[in-house]
Amino acid sequence: MFALQVLVNGLVLGCLYACIAAGFSLVWGVLNVINIMHGSFIVLGSYLAWMSYSAIGLSPWTTLLIAAPLFFAVGYLIQRGILNRVIAAPVLVTLTLTFGLDLILNNSMLLAFSADYRKLLLDPPLGTLAFSGLVVPVDRVLAMVLALILTLALYIILRHSRVGRAIIAVRMDRDAALLMGVNIRTIYAVAFGLGAAMAGCAGVLLALIFPISPLSAGAYLGKAFVVCVLGGLGSVPGAVLGGLFLGITESVGAVVFGPEHSVTLSFALLIVFLIFRPHGLLGKKGYE
Amino acid sequence: MENEKSAGITHQRSCGRRAFLRFSAAVAAASGVLLSAPVHAQEVIKFGAPLPITGPLAPEALKQQQGYDLWAKQVNQAGGISVGGKKMKVEIVYTDYQSNTPRAVQATERLITQDQVQFVFAPFGSGAAKAASTVAERYGVPMIAATASSSQVYDQGYKFLFGTFTPNDTLTNPLADIIRQKAPDVKRVAILARNDLFPLAIAQEMEKSAKDRGLEVVFFEKYAINTLDHSAALAQLKATNPQWIFATGYTNDLVLMRKQMADQRIEAPVVTMIAAPAYQEFIDAAGKGAENISSAAWWHPAVRYKGTDIFGATENYVRLFKEAYKADPDYAHASASVSGALFQMAIERAGSIDRQKVRDALASLNVMTFWGPVRFGPTGQITSLEPPVFQIQGAKPIVVHPAAIRQGDLRLGVK
Repeated sequence: MFALQVLVNGLVLGCLYACIAAGFSLVWGVLNVINIMHGSFIVLGSYLAWMSYSAIGLSPWTTLLIAAPLFFAVGYLIQRGILNRVIAAPVLVTLTLTFGLDLILNNSMLLAFSADYRKLLLDPPLGTLAFSGLVVPVDRVLAMVLALILTLALYIILRHSRVGRAIIAVRMDRDAALLMGVNIRTIYAVAFGLGAAMAGCAGVLLALIFPISPLSAGAYLGKAFVVCVLGGLGSVPGAVLGGLFLGITESVGAVVFGPEHSVTLSFALLIVFLIFRPHGLLGKKGYE
Repeated sequence: MENEKSAGITHQRSCGRRAFLRFSAAVAAASGVLLSAPVHAQEVIKFGAPLPITGPLAPEALKQQQGYDLWAKQVNQAGGISVGGKKMKVEIVYTDYQSNTPRAVQATERLITQDQVQFVFAPFGSGAAKAASTVAERYGVPMIAATASSSQVYDQGYKFLFGTFTPNDTLTNPLADIIRQKAPDVKRVAILARNDLFPLAIAQEMEKSAKDRGLEVVFFEKYAINTLDHSAALAQLKATNPQWIFATGYTNDLVLMRKQMADQRIEAPVVTMIAAPAYQEFIDAAGKGAENISSAAWWHPAVRYKGTDIFGATENYVRLFKEAYKADPDYAHASASVSGALFQMAIERAGSIDRQKVRDALASLNVMTFWGPVRFGPTGQITSLEPPVFQIQGAKPIVVHPAAIRQGDLRLGVK
């Protein structure tokens, strides 16, 4: 029963990691932009959920409907107005740019909300489910289900909508897509907007689970990096698989090697993958 | 192309010349400032405070800064510190060491050599304070550490380092005593510690205190800094069926851990957490989960001392702090403020701002403050405090020990 509990914990955690990483993976894979702001977007989403709930009693599920278009718009404008200007430059330039923007965003949040840790406390709390000794917290399960739905929605958009196919086309061959009449600048902005929307929605869901502070942004970004490398860049199913892989490894690893090694374990995995399978579990060669 | 190049070089050269002139002017100006510095220093006493203003320790730096600023404000409102019959105002020079210990050492040195501060406060925490104390010792500058409790900080035989926190076992011994006394059935202790200097040191101290009193430590694990999930460790902890859960870490760790304990339906007669419950943000963030969590700290706003320092009684300090920052002070704020107040008392006794005289005055200090009785031991660490044990009851911290300042009884049962 203990082993099953650890496995279930890892599974639930893995889905949260997938949710953290999906948008990051999309932006990195399609735009070749390493968006350092991703962690701060997630924290901003958490603050949105926390403020909506504590100020006007809006449940996080409703806040999701506001967060998605809001963050999409923010992401779209950032890409359109700022990042598109240097999109053709080497990856280090966009990395530095998003790093700088992240400093501004993160420090603005520190000024606005202070570094105090907050927590979204639902009243009444959602509680836990128990099946013959196995305990699962309802908020984590709900967040997990919603995260999977969101990630699935992202997958469907990419695979089956016109704009999604254009995003994939740009990812596969930028010049050919340009020749076929795809408006690359708009597609880039849409892809970045989708990435930001995923980050914002992830933040709303994570507000139920993790303490909220601008200082958490770095930890989220670190996880997103590892999940992307494990799963494969730009691949949405890859993000899910990478997240699950990381979640289960950390949970089982904490039991086998002791909890103080679980973070070390995730970064050790990152190094192993970078050496032996740089395109990840599901990524295509050439996109790493 | 050649012309362009040579023109560029000429331009660079002329830039270089201009830069040199500017540099010379700056040096001249600076030496002017230096020459006039002693005149300036007669009016103002400069204190240096290296703090982790940015980076992960930023929240701690803010607390320190608020504590120092409150003291400086009170002193300056009262006209300054009396030095041999003359009033001198105080100024605190802050430098940011970005939560990076090696930089804390450099920052301390820069404060002493470039900013020419007369006295220094130590950087945050035991590790950085120990590292920076070497610099203060070398220059013979008295340093007060407001947040360094580990006795290893004070074991280097330094003469200029003083600290306002008693050693870690002064927190864990009273805790273990009161649990033995109020909950004699509690025998099995589980300890989960953040793998970090202070949280780990206090956990190890707890292990000793528990074993010394015949309690059985059935679980002792560490978790990494930046851990986002405690479920695996908690599942293991739950399997050992503990009656007393002792967890250490900072606010984010312990809020998350408390939430995950509820998620896994872990209950115990006693749950103790250090250091977060002393902070209001923990009580707010943990909500109902904070109820009946016990803790210990070096100071608490509920303690009552009649100080002879600038703040006077503890109530007065709490009131002044609330007026300034619209929040209750915790031990980190208070320790920073009392560090300033102790410098002030030592300077007034020495009747001089001479570093050696102030150092001697600090070493022989035996005073009552709003923080509690202050007397430094031979290592420079305070020996006179009796830290309170408290418990969150009805979303408020209630002191349960020592008897002299007790506000309520220890309650058992954390669900």
